[in-house]
Amino acid sequence: MSTRLSTRWPAVALLATLTGGAVPAIALAQDADNNPYTSRIDIRTGRRLFRAQCSTCHGLNAAGGNESAGPDLTTGQFRHADSDAGLFRVIRDGVRSTSMLGLGADANDQSIWQLVTYLRSLDVTAGGTPSGSSAAGQQLFTGKGNCARCHMVNGRGQRIGPDLSFVGDRRALADLETDLVDPDAELLPRWWTMRAVGPGGQVVEGLRMDEDTFTFRIMDAEENLRAFSKYSDWTYERIQQSTMPDYAETLTADERNDLVAYLFSLRSEP
Amino acid sequence: MTLTPNPTHTRTISRVAAVLTGLMAAVHPAAAQPSFSEGAALFSPVTWERLVNAADEPHNWLMYNGTLDSQRFSRLDQIDADNVRQLKLKWAHHIPQLDRAETTPLVVDGVMFITESPSNVVAVDAVTGRPFWRYDHPLPSDLRLCCGRNNRGVSILGETLYMSTLDAHLVAIDGRSGSLLWSREVADYRSGYSKTAAPLIVKDQVVTGIAGGEYGIRGFLDSYDADTGERLWRTHTIPGPDHPDNRTWAGDSWRTGGSPTWITGSYDPELNLVYWGTGNPGPDWNGDVRQGDNLYADSVLALDGDTGEMSWYFQFTPHDEHDWDAIQVPVLADIELDGETRKAMLWANRNGFYYTLDRETGEFLLGKPFAKQTWAEGLDENGRPIRRPNTSPSQEGTLVAPIAGGGTNWWSPAFSPRTNLMYVNAFDGEALFFSREQEYKEGDNFTGGGTETPLPIEHYHSAIRAIDPTTGDVEWEFPITPRSRSGVLATAGDLVFSASVDGYFYALDARTGAPLWHISLGGPVHAQPMTYAVNGQQYVSMTIGNTLYTFGLDGDE
Repeated sequence: MSTRLSTRWPAVALLATLTGGAVPAIALAQDADNNPYTSRIDIRTGRRLFRAQCSTCHGLNAAGGNESAGPDLTTGQFRHADSDAGLFRVIRDGVRSTSMLGLGADANDQSIWQLVTYLRSLDVTAGGTPSGSSAAGQQLFTGKGNCARCHMVNGRGQRIGPDLSFVGDRRALADLETDLVDPDAELLPRWWTMRAVGPGGQVVEGLRMDEDTFTFRIMDAEENLRAFSKYSDWTYERIQQSTMPDYAETLTADERNDLVAYLFSLRSEP
Repeated sequence: MTLTPNPTHTRTISRVAAVLTGLMAAVHPAAAQPSFSEGAALFSPVTWERLVNAADEPHNWLMYNGTLDSQRFSRLDQIDADNVRQLKLKWAHHIPQLDRAETTPLVVDGVMFITESPSNVVAVDAVTGRPFWRYDHPLPSDLRLCCGRNNRGVSILGETLYMSTLDAHLVAIDGRSGSLLWSREVADYRSGYSKTAAPLIVKDQVVTGIAGGEYGIRGFLDSYDADTGERLWRTHTIPGPDHPDNRTWAGDSWRTGGSPTWITGSYDPELNLVYWGTGNPGPDWNGDVRQGDNLYADSVLALDGDTGEMSWYFQFTPHDEHDWDAIQVPVLADIELDGETRKAMLWANRNGFYYTLDRETGEFLLGKPFAKQTWAEGLDENGRPIRRPNTSPSQEGTLVAPIAGGGTNWWSPAFSPRTNLMYVNAFDGEALFFSREQEYKEGDNFTGGGTETPLPIEHYHSAIRAIDPTTGDVEWEFPITPRSRSGVLATAGDLVFSASVDGYFYALDARTGAPLWHISLGGPVHAQPMTYAVNGQQYVSMTIGNTLYTFGLDGDE
């Protein structure tokens, strides 16, 4: 699992940009509201920087820290900035009276702009537009793909997979394509399975909604919410695999393109 | 409560208290513990003799790690395995700051001193949590901080509290009123220095360290006259060019080599030695610019208690490139080893290895991993790590265990002389370590790289581990999900108290690790539990989120 996930993530891109080169004057850079570093390579470099510098608080994928309560940065809305220049300032200088420390001189202007680019890229429309038919994809979603058996969209469907109503806000095209053929690739612990066995041998399985030192909570296949203590006469195990089938065989490439187009269209602001 | 007081010492305490203040009310001849009738005068001066014998007055918590040997073991045994399930919340104190609360409070005869972020202290009634006074330290807005606005506690001598401040000052505060008595600049914060740790009192001195290992500082340990604030000695943790060990730093790299001293040390009164851990060499992740062993970074130093002169050192991680500060509390304990009683020092290090050292000489006695590590084959006969190849940080990232935050970190461990086990918060993680070139600029962050944890935290394992210091073996572990950033407390009730980032405060059986009691308090934990008693009632306090909670059994309050 570990190796697989690590190797899926982009190889180091242009680390040379971090390691030297002229450092332009910060004042000049932030006053210019236009981010000069917005290529795909800047996104990837920014993501790497983010994981090294910011993920401790904001989470590996910028969706918020599970330990330190750093805010979710994937929503396109930022509490302390409404422009690229504002984001630049927050990243460089931090936010007073909060735990948000600026990178200051720990990162040069280029690196800070690349972080801005990465955060903007989480608004995933930056990754290109789909080639398939969204309307055909919607048919597949409820029909042949049987996606609604687990996933909910705008209040319709089921609850035993992630709600996909706004999946287009969160996942770029390439991510959605991968999700269909390799559901374990970036599986979040929220979608692991917990399997509990009672003293009489009864088995209860469900998706891992939350787990801590003493307890865990699941949703079973019938969408029941169940809570368990880790220290009772039940035993339990974690199954760190996705319950989603892969669609490499069951859908054609064209069908998958259509489904991706539909999923990509599911966003909070069309 | 079944205390086992030393009668001589009880008289000593009574006499000292009576002579110095006359404040100590109704000292019971049969117990080392005063009782306070309604409205009685609380708080009495804390002499050096009381600090030396702090274990004998377990109703008080007189210094950051409880006692000078830093065992974090309390002789209080009212709360034990049979009744711990009946613990009830007695009171809570809200800290009006969002930053991490890392405090260990002190309790002196019914008064508790709690430090708060950024550099504040509040004195409260230890029975109710209601305040007497607070001291808010003014701070500049351009602090240089690697890791948040934290403070971990005060120390006390006489009636005076001593506190580190984020602007790298040492302040003396009147324990009765909160008045500032003096403020001493220890170093220039604009150069990257800061102070977060509780000082250690040694006789009439305030011994205190410095933070700033991510800013290219040159670390040191200082001693100040407790009365006047005059500096008595400074021992650099990186020797100057007149010392042969300076040659363990290539070129001028020693000038910006870090090696800070940001956690509280220990003291052995018989040996008159101060023990203190040192932090990472700088820049953290680029060792190419500081070739050599980089003495005395990532070491424990044994310094003369009067002069600060070095008696010995032991370096855990020569030429560290992974930010594995030896910023752990030196735990001093006498243990049986090969039929001999050894004056030992127990050390679970951030680099993933556990060490037992001879604290008279610094001799390495034994060591082995206590947490996942992939960087060394093991330790040689002198305790020096046998490094594996290709574990240095790189441009493309090198996967190594432990993470930069370590197999453990600054969180205080505990040692129980009843179980002869050391209790440590451990983490089996891994990280990608990146190296990059970086020029030093005074006052700027100087780390030479970064790290990244390749998987969500849930993929890794964390635990409280009980280590046998005579073998280095892990005797039991209590698993934690997802992890802990908390210290540990051991008590004569054969309980181990700790907490975890998921917001639980819990008690384990000190002999087996079995969980006996827990409560979800809802906030991430970055602090250490402590215990005390007032009027025969034992309390356990822990800061969770930004609230300090105090628990006790039912009883007269």
